[in-house]
Amino acid sequence: MSRLIGMLILIAVVLVGLVGLSAVFYLAAGGLAFVFASLGLPPSFGAAIANVVTLMLVVMMISASLLTVAERKWSALMQNRIGANRIKVFGTSLGGIPFLLADALKMLTKERIEPAQSTRLLYELAPALAFAPVFALFAIVPIGPALPLHDIIGSASLGATKIALQVAQPDVGLIYLFAIASLSVYGTSLAGWASNNKLALLGGVRASSQMISYEVSLGLALVGSMIAFRSLKLEEMVLAQGTPVIGPIPALGILLQPVGFLVFFASAFAESKRAPFDLPEGESEIVGYFVEYSGMKFGLMFLAEFIEIVILSGIVTAVFLGGWHPLVVNTEWLRQTVSPLWFGAICAASFLVKMILMMWLQLTIRWLLPRFRFDQIQKLCWKIMLPAAIANVFITGAALLIDPSMKLLAWIGAGTLVAIAAITAAAGRAPAPAVEEHGHAHAAAGH
Amino acid sequence: MPYQVENRPPDLRERMYFPEIIRGIGTITRHFVRNFFFARDKNPDILERRRGEFGVSDNVTLAYPEERAAYAPAYRGLHRLVPREDGKPRCVACYMCATACPAQCIYIEAGEYPDDPIEKYPVKFVIDEMRCIVCGFCVEACPKDAIRMDSGEHSPPSYERAAQIWDEKRLLRGPPISYQYDPWLRRGSPSIPADKLEEMRARARPFHTVATDEYSQTPGFSVRALAAEAKERAARSK
Repeated sequence: MSRLIGMLILIAVVLVGLVGLSAVFYLAAGGLAFVFASLGLPPSFGAAIANVVTLMLVVMMISASLLTVAERKWSALMQNRIGANRIKVFGTSLGGIPFLLADALKMLTKERIEPAQSTRLLYELAPALAFAPVFALFAIVPIGPALPLHDIIGSASLGATKIALQVAQPDVGLIYLFAIASLSVYGTSLAGWASNNKLALLGGVRASSQMISYEVSLGLALVGSMIAFRSLKLEEMVLAQGTPVIGPIPALGILLQPVGFLVFFASAFAESKRAPFDLPEGESEIVGYFVEYSGMKFGLMFLAEFIEIVILSGIVTAVFLGGWHPLVVNTEWLRQTVSPLWFGAICAASFLVKMILMMWLQLTIRWLLPRFRFDQIQKLCWKIMLPAAIANVFITGAALLIDPSMKLLAWIGAGTLVAIAAITAAAGRAPAPAVEEHGHAHAAAGH
Repeated sequence: MPYQVENRPPDLRERMYFPEIIRGIGTITRHFVRNFFFARDKNPDILERRRGEFGVSDNVTLAYPEERAAYAPAYRGLHRLVPREDGKPRCVACYMCATACPAQCIYIEAGEYPDDPIEKYPVKFVIDEMRCIVCGFCVEACPKDAIRMDSGEHSPPSYERAAQIWDEKRLLRGPPISYQYDPWLRRGSPSIPADKLEEMRARARPFHTVATDEYSQTPGFSVRALAAEAKERAARSK
């Protein structure tokens, strides 16, 4: 029972810590915006620079590196093991977190091995090409709501400027996501090509064919959400998800677009090249497109996968799970109750909590499923995901054409969710067909 | 526990794939939550652990160096040369173990006690633990119960190969053993002081119990009990 109490305290501490951290982020963005404004520069630049540091370097990088530990520790908990606990700090293993430092040290101090006759330039460039696009993706994830600058800093002269916990707010929104995400295929396929290794080449070819296939359904899965929310910008999608649609239930993306959610989640999972879609890196057959990479060059590719988990969690949270709306309390009520800074902090913290839950879900699926065969992967993409996504687009469009207030769409989505729940909850296998005496004899003989 | 799996094609619900994945997530989540919130039962006998109920985790592993599973009594561990109560080895340097050893990892040099005209003793008794295949033939071959593998230890790791070569000084350890039929107890020995001899005689056991000992056998199987039964049967039939 002491562990139960400790874990509950830990969860409470983490929640409070996330709220505090978000408040610090807002203060950093507001402070730098204020400094830029007093220097005569646009304050939004200052906020963007502060957000790059706080969101991309702190939130994204730290959660990605913590995920490397979480993958071991959470998988251990799922498999009834104890998990990594050998590095002890003052007698406690701290949940395996010191392994982060040990892993980084190992990656950085490993011997650099370079294959002979590799294409040197591309070989050196590939890890950066795999890492950089993934890294840049987090720029459009809206972690916190836009707040007026004077509410954060308290200086009335800067009233018009709004500060959001979002690095960039491009008008293209999700198109930016698709454009940059499809760049990361260059890193993997170039790594496979430039290593001068046939196994690496096979891995690179597999990676490129898999990623290019799934980009189609990835894009089409989000088209339904774009139609429903009438916007490409993630921050506007999040705002639209705050409006009630059926009674008090807000118009969450997962309610309006359950099929889009499933297809997007599976496609993005395939894009991140992790189990059960880890064909490009089968340890037992071809080692993978990074077989010739050692040390931190491998580490960059390894980290890119974990960053993709964080990105996917962020996008799913923003598009399908209501973004920064803390669903346990009403957003408008919260806005009027607490001061603007704490309103923003609580909202951003609820976004982070949803993100953590989505990361956990991805690791769960990664440890749940065995990997697909390659033909199964392509079949899943072209024969199931793509038709489902296209049908979803047409049904969404038709429903919005009939009823622009999204009520019909919400009812269709609710019906789909109920149907999925019913099929899931239905009893396991149908009872076995009756076996005649002959069959029994065979079974007893061990056939 | 083995059970038969019926091999039949998936039904429609299973071919839809998503419902089964969601069920799988549910199963894993149940394990995760239980293991996350509840402390584990640390009983090294894992089958005896409390599992699968509210308030305990489902854990089935040991934190190895701190917690260890007990070995079976028949476990063949590191050799030891069994000492007598006076601290000398029981070994009489008969070379039986070295002859029986299939790995030829035992080296013996025999010597004689200067004051005792009959008994020999090993001046050198060296076992190369790296070469030993842990077959236990030396223990079976020994007529004096002078070498045993009952220490329950692994041979400890070392950075040098030389440290894996165990000589008589390292091998001679563990509890001393004496038997009533030991020749040095029955006729006495000039190398054993008189008061020590009395103590050894007092502690001597009647039987030699190593390989067919009930401790080293399947529970419920006892050579001595079976022998007693047979004796009783023979007495009754007369």
